[in-house]
Parts: sequence; structure tokens; C-alpha cells
Amino acid sequence: MTRRIAFALTALVLTLATGVTAALAGPARSSADPGVTPTSILLGTTSPLSGSASAYASVARGADAYFKYVNGRGGVNGRKIVDTIVDDAYNPAQTVQATRQLVEQDKVFAVFNGLGTEQNLAVRDYLNAQKVPQLFAASGATVFGTEAGKYPYTIGLQPSYQAEGWVLGKYLARTQGAAKVAVLFQNDDYGKDLLNGLKKGIERSRVRIAAAQPYEVTASDVQAQVAKLRSSGANVFAVLATPKFAIQAYVYANKLGWKPKLSLTNAVSSASNIMQLASEGGTNKVVEGSVSIVFLKDPTDPKWKKDAAMKLYRSIMKRYAPSANANDVYHVYGMAAAWTAVEAIRRAGKDLTRDGLVKVVSTMNLSGNPFLLPGIGLKTGPGDHFPIEQMVLQRWHKGAWKSFGGIWGYRTA
Amino acid sequence: MRHSRALAPIAAFVGLAVIVVVLPSFVSAFRAQQFAYVAIYLTALIGLNILTGYTGQISLGHGAFMAIGGYTTAILMTEHGVKDIWTIPVAAVVTGVVGFLFGIPALRLSGLYLALATFAIAVSMPAVIKRFEGFTGGGGGLNLFGLPELTASLEPVTVLGQELTFNDWLYYLCWTVALVGYVIAWLMLRGRTGRALRAVRDSESAAQSSGVSLRSYKTLAFGVSAAYAGVAGSLFAIATTFVNPDTFPIALSILLLVGVVVGGLGSLVGLIAGAVFIQFLPIWSQQISKSPGAPAVVSGVVLIALMFVLPMGVAGLVARLRTLTKR
Amino acid sequence: MADFWQQVVAGLASGSIYASLALALVLIHRATGVINFAQGEMATFSTYIAWALTTNYGWSYWPAFAVTLLASFAGGVAIHQGIIRPNEKGSVLRVVIVTIGLLLALNGLVTLIWSGEVRAMQSPFPTRTIDIAGVAISIQDIGTIGVVLATVVALWALFQYTKVGLAMRAAAVNPAEARLVGVRVTWMLSLGWGLAAVLGAISGMLAAPSLFLDPNLMAALLIYAFAAAVLGGIDSPIGAVVGGLTLGVGLNLIGAYVDFVGADLRLPAALAVILVVLLVKPSGIFGKSEVKRV
Repeated sequence: MTRRIAFALTALVLTLATGVTAALAGPARSSADPGVTPTSILLGTTSPLSGSASAYASVARGADAYFKYVNGRGGVNGRKIVDTIVDDAYNPAQTVQATRQLVEQDKVFAVFNGLGTEQNLAVRDYLNAQKVPQLFAASGATVFGTEAGKYPYTIGLQPSYQAEGWVLGKYLARTQGAAKVAVLFQNDDYGKDLLNGLKKGIERSRVRIAAAQPYEVTASDVQAQVAKLRSSGANVFAVLATPKFAIQAYVYANKLGWKPKLSLTNAVSSASNIMQLASEGGTNKVVEGSVSIVFLKDPTDPKWKKDAAMKLYRSIMKRYAPSANANDVYHVYGMAAAWTAVEAIRRAGKDLTRDGLVKVVSTMNLSGNPFLLPGIGLKTGPGDHFPIEQMVLQRWHKGAWKSFGGIWGYRTA
Repeated sequence: MRHSRALAPIAAFVGLAVIVVVLPSFVSAFRAQQFAYVAIYLTALIGLNILTGYTGQISLGHGAFMAIGGYTTAILMTEHGVKDIWTIPVAAVVTGVVGFLFGIPALRLSGLYLALATFAIAVSMPAVIKRFEGFTGGGGGLNLFGLPELTASLEPVTVLGQELTFNDWLYYLCWTVALVGYVIAWLMLRGRTGRALRAVRDSESAAQSSGVSLRSYKTLAFGVSAAYAGVAGSLFAIATTFVNPDTFPIALSILLLVGVVVGGLGSLVGLIAGAVFIQFLPIWSQQISKSPGAPAVVSGVVLIALMFVLPMGVAGLVARLRTLTKR
Repeated sequence: MADFWQQVVAGLASGSIYASLALALVLIHRATGVINFAQGEMATFSTYIAWALTTNYGWSYWPAFAVTLLASFAGGVAIHQGIIRPNEKGSVLRVVIVTIGLLLALNGLVTLIWSGEVRAMQSPFPTRTIDIAGVAISIQDIGTIGVVLATVVALWALFQYTKVGLAMRAAAVNPAEARLVGVRVTWMLSLGWGLAAVLGAISGMLAAPSLFLDPNLMAALLIYAFAAAVLGGIDSPIGAVVGGLTLGVGLNLIGAYVDFVGADLRLPAALAVILVVLLVKPSGIFGKSEVKRV
């Protein structure tokens, strides 16, 4: 008799223990749209705080620091912005559960700045069905802009990977004659999107892709791929990779004695501190003359040392994220996203609704984002669901980036 | 005598079933969905328990079996228009067969070597899934949300006169499957099969000399435990409405083994505790700190501490409580 | 033809790194019978210590190297005494869970303390490359192979010719009888963990200059190291080296010349190796078959 009771009681206690914590979940909000009170706006962000992509957690951290700064100056339309960050370990299944938590338990007004292509794709249908804005998804996947008709609540921010690849391709087409390109690319949607853009950019020119080698994110090194690319006889080396692999590629190409006429790299890996590592104290010959695209101000680029916006950036980091590394450019991206969110929310008015916010971000024309390069604006409208489509080319010369050629724009067909 | 020994666990089981049925009325729909995942992990743990607890074989690859079940369901739903619940038995059979086939060569491995081999399979599964892109949707994965084959994803469904929204439907589906699965396992393990499996665990040579066919029972254990994991994977795909290679990472296989050990091998309460642990540990670790890397530190420390505090798992704690109340 | 040899050379370079971590795995298994899933993360942690000393505190390479090895040894012993030993009496599973917990905690700790940013690590060897018939061979890679071979010789000498080595072997194979003849078994096991930690640290410091340092440095290598150890024989240091080099060259050649495999199936190919070896000859190329006493 007692055994049965003890057994049943233990099972009961276990289930109730977790149930009780449930009952103590946040209070129900009675205003028109969840997540908005007279004094606050609640946003939710999924971010890889653990796992192999934790380097990208800086994106959410930078945005959070900016919101705190804005709150310290009175907030937006009298409301303070609170951004709840939830770990998804870069696993889309976790992103689904974390997003459900943000929407159904924390009752956020909007999901903002979620990191990762697959991660955002996994929750896109759900968020649109629930009519919750998927604001400024931190991914350059082209589909976040091209499928606005089907998914009106979803919008990206950064230039699409395809646009990036296209600009680099067009640069090759215009300046490199009959070049042969060897491409190292990450074997996922990110890398493939970049490669597709590159191919589009070199269409109808004499540039050809001589070889393309993929690598997995789980790889330990890319030496085999670089060796194979070198043997293709190409004279242009395109490194469409994430930082660690990009550095390895440059260093290994140099080790092999490969001297391509030109090397290219994409934005994610172009931060100055990463290029410094690749340049091996100036001895790396492959890195010298490398061309890349940029749309953010790079905190380790000496030309922004006296820049007012960068000074602001550093002071915000110092005050609101003192243990973080301010040289990490992903923080700057986060702040650029947060700035845009603040402006959009401000324009959506005191009577803040989800649909109202979606309307604002779908037809916006903002300039003056201090974290973007001068002249780069945020523009969307009917048929154009890509906020940032402008980039600048830059060349790595003697340990620093030098921009050239003015602002390139791209309209996704 | 057999009757009274069976009575206590049956009564406890019925009590649990009652709690499961009424719980959603006391908690939010969101919490119900979280508990649905507990049932999913419970199903996988029931299977893993048969392999590790009863037969003594270590598997670090059950996440891969979940992937097979999950992808079976996803492919059947997206490519062949099969309704979600009918994909569950198919997933069970497909994964069970794969598990059984794996069990044949696995006969030659034991202990840590088997752990390594299953670890190898789990680590390579995402890459293999990606490779057969035409079949599996590659890295982009398969999306189930909004499909007419996915019950209740857009409109509530009516079951037994009750209108259920997605979260509640999911909860009842998963718990029904888990509890039915538990009953099946319990019946299977009560008699000869259970004794034979335990004999294999305790001493392979002794078992063999008593006439227990190692080959049959080890492969059976693999097949059955894989089938359970396949069902869990199928439910996981339905619950998450999305599958891609990264939704079944090596971390999942590791977590399942952790769940079975923390829960304590062998008892239902232990298994439920293990499932609760798997579902809520990442959430609890985040409450402590959100600095990058901190949740992992918390999880790791908790794991190590648990092995000190509860070496026999939660089930061991419950067993000790039981002996206390007997006095 | 130069391309083929370049792939071979690249394979030897990667393979020697796999071998160096495999040596740590082999040592731990031989000395304590345990497969340490946290070996890679312990190595990463040690490498970060070396990095912090040379970069943040401006130490020169060799003193930092020495201190890192000492710290790793102490860490390995402490981990064994504090965390592993209390769980040794239980089932194998408990030790597996504990090493998994250690893996998680160390990986998180590295990110927490030093962030996920990529870092450069100094190499003890010059970074020059020599060119032989169109094939580029880096001095660093030659140095790495040299260190790995020297380590194997040192381990072999330890186990074959020293009393300590003999005691360690006895403690691993038959603890009860070893105690009877006066071997302090627990300390021998701790010594095994300490030495394995040192080997792991060396492995990390060999890998980091070319692979660059981030929290996942060794995680990616661990699978290849397991494959190498299993291929060569999980109790044989020479096997670990042969296994590692064979694996490195083999994977490169298959990846370069067999189109079906390509880059994405390199890892599964390595794992297929583990599976095939475990099924055909579980004791690996150089291992001795285990005879089970009934």
C-alpha cells in the first residue's frame, strides 16, 4: 500500500514541479498586441549562445547593448525596449522551441535579429501563421527578400549573399578579362548562395569558374580543397568561407606557393582583425591585394578611429557590454540592426501594432544609420524587400583596407 | 502471487495516466507542448533502456535512429501525402529494420567499442543526409508546417468531442504513443525476453552457456530499441514541423544516453525523470547565465555533479525512498 | 603528378595532427582502460593557456610551452583524482557520462573566458616552405611529424624500459594483482591521465598554428583521432601514428580522386573506416586481440 502511494506521489511531485514553474510564467497582457505595454516593448531573439557557432552570439549582444543605450535616453515613444535572448545552440529544432517560448510564453511583440539561415527558415511559417513579425533576420539568404509575397511578416536586413557574390563577380567581369576562378565555398545555403551570385555576376563575360571546392562546417581544415584548387590552374582565388576557414585558406595557399593574380573574400570574413591573422604579419602574398565587399564600419579599421559613430559604438560597448570584445565586428552589425529596429518602431507610432510595424519596414527609406558606411541606406518598397542592397568594394593593401569605386547597388530580380 | 506483484506497478501506471490526461487543464498550452517533447524523449529512452539497461549495450547513436524515423515521416508527408499519424508505424518499422541490421555486425563489438561505433554513425548521419539531397531535401531540410497532412497545424482538430489546438493535440498524441510504448515494453520484458536480455547484460558467457542465443537477443534488442527511437524521431518531426540534418546532431545522441543514465536504468519514473532532464536542462542552464558558453558550462557541471549525487540516477533515489517507506 | 604528391604531403600533414591527438587517446586507454571523450576539449583548453601566455602576457614561446605542459599535467591528475576516480567503481556508463560532462563544461569554459573569436597561435617551427619538384613542403609540417615520432619513441621507452611504465601497464591490466605487488594503482591511473593531458596539449599546440585557434579546434579533430586510434590499434602508440598518417593521406586521396566522396563525405568516410576496422579486426593494425577469460 505504502509503496504504491510513494510511487504515485513521486510521479505526481515530478510532474507538478515543472507544472508549478509554468503557472508562474509571465502575466497575461491585455493590450491589443502582445509584448506592448505603455512603458515597454518586448522583443525576442534566438542566438547561438552555445555550440560551434557561438562566435555569432556577438550579433545579439551588440543589439542588446544598443537597446540599453536607447532606453537610457528615454526609449522609443516613451517605451523601453527589452530584448529577450534565448539560446538555440544553432540547432533549428531548438530555434523552433525557443521561438515558440518567445511567442507563446514570453509573449513578445516581435521576433528580432534571429541568427542563422536554417534557423530562421525553420520558424518562418510559424511566425507568419501567428502574424508575429520576423524582424531583420540575421541571415543574408536571398529567400527572405524574394518570398515576401508568401511571408509578409519576414524581412532580412544585410545585403543578400547572392548580391555579395554578384558584386564580386561583376568586379571580376569588368576588370579581369578572361580570368579563371577557383572557388572555395562552404557547403550550405550560405556558401551556395554566394557562389550563385558570383556566377550571375560573371555571366556574359570572359571570366570562367575553373574549379569549385566545397567544405563542411564540421571540417577541421581545408588543405585538401586548397591543394586541389591550386592544381586547377586558376589565376583568381575566391574564398567564400567563414572566418576560420578563410584564414586557413589564405595561409595554406601561401604555404603552397600559389600566387593567384587576385583573391576575393566575402563580407563575413573580411573584418580587419581576421585579415590581419591571414596576412601572417605581412608575409602572406595571397592576401595582399585581396578584394572584398563591405557595408558596415569595421572597428579595427584605422580609418574609423576618429569617427563619431565608432566612438559612440565603443562607448556603448564599454558601458553596456564591458566584458565583450569591442573589436568584434559582429557587435557593430547587431547595433546596425538595433538602430534600424528603433527607427522602425518609432515610425510605427505610439499606437504600436504588429501589422503597423510590418507596414513600416516594408516601405521604408532610412538613411543615417551610423554603423553603416556613409551613403548606404535602408530602402524597401513594393517589389523590393531587401533593406540593404548597397555595398562598397575594398582592397587589402599593406595591412589595411582601402575602399574604391564608390557604392554598388544590386536589385534582386 | 503473480497478480499481486503486478498490481502495484499497474496501479501506479494508471495513476500516471490519469495525471497525464488532466494535466493540460492546469498548465498553459505552451507548457503542454514542452511536456509533449518530454513524452517524445521518454519514448526514445524506453527504447534505449531496453538496449542499455536490460541488455547492457552502450549506444551513442540513438539520435541517428531518431533521424531515420524523423526523415521517414517528413518524406512520407511531403512527397507522398501520407497523414502524420500513419507515418509513425512506418517509421517504427523502417528504423527497427535498420537497427536490427546494424545489430548483426554490432554483435562483434562490446562496451566502449560499441559506443565508438554508434558514435561514429551518429556523427556521420548529418553528412549522409545532406549527401542524398534529392531524397532528403539536403541542408535546407523539409518543412512540414501548414501541410494538410499535419494535423491541427493551422486549424484545431476535434478528437473525442474535444476541440484541440496544435499544442494540446501534440501533447495527447505524444503521451498516448509513449504510454502505449511503455506498456508494450513492459509486457515484452516481463517474461523470458526480459530475463534473457538481463542475462546477456550480466554475463555474456554465462548467458550463452545457459542456452541464450546471444545473436538473437542482441539483434532483437537493437531492432526494438531502434524502433522506439524511430517513433520518437517521427513524433519529433511532427512536433518541430521541420527537419534538417542539424536537427539531429550528435548532441542529441549524447543527451539520450545522459537521460537514460541520469534517469536511472530500468524504472518508468526514472525514464520520465530522464526525459524531463533532457528537455529542461538547456532551458534551466540559460536561466543561470546567458553569456556565450555559460549554458554549456552549467550543463557539464550539472552532469558531473549528478553522477556524484545520484550515481544510480533518479530511479536509484526512488528505490531508496521506497525502502525507507517500507520501514 | 605533382598534384598527387601534393595531396599526399597535405595528407601527411593533417595525418600527423590526427596522430598526435590519437596518441593521447591511446595513452589514456592503455593506462586506464577508459575512452576519454573530453580529450579534445582538454587539449583545446591547454592550447588556450599557451595562447594567453604568449599573446596576452607576452611570454616567449618555450617558457609558455613548458608551463602549459606542467599545467596540463596537473590538470589531468586533478581531473582523475577529483572526478573520474569516484566513478570508476560504478559501471562504465558513469565514466562515459562524466567525461561527456567534462567535454561540455570545458568547451563552454573556453568560450566563456576567451570568446569564440579565431586566434593565431605561434609555431615553434619556422614557417618557410621548401619546394621539391613542384611540391610544396612546409617546415612546420616536417616539425610536426618529427615531434609526433619523438613522442612515440618516448612513450615506447617509458612503457618498455622504465619501472614507472611497467607499473602503469600493470595497473591498467590487472589492478588487483598490481596492488598486491605494491603498485600504487590509483596514482598510476592519475599519472596516465596527466600524461595524456600533456600529449593533448602538445597536439593542440602543433595543430593551432596551421588550423588556427577557436573553441572548436579539437572537436573537429577528435573524430579523426578516434578513427586513427581505432585503425592503428587503440592500445598501440605506433598504431596511432601509422593510423593517423594513413587516414590523412587516404582521406585526401579519396576526396581528391573519387568524385562520389568529395569533400562532404570525408567525415563519414573516416567513420566508415572506424566501423570497418571494428568489425573486421577490432584490435586494429598493431593491436593485440583481446582474449576473454571465461
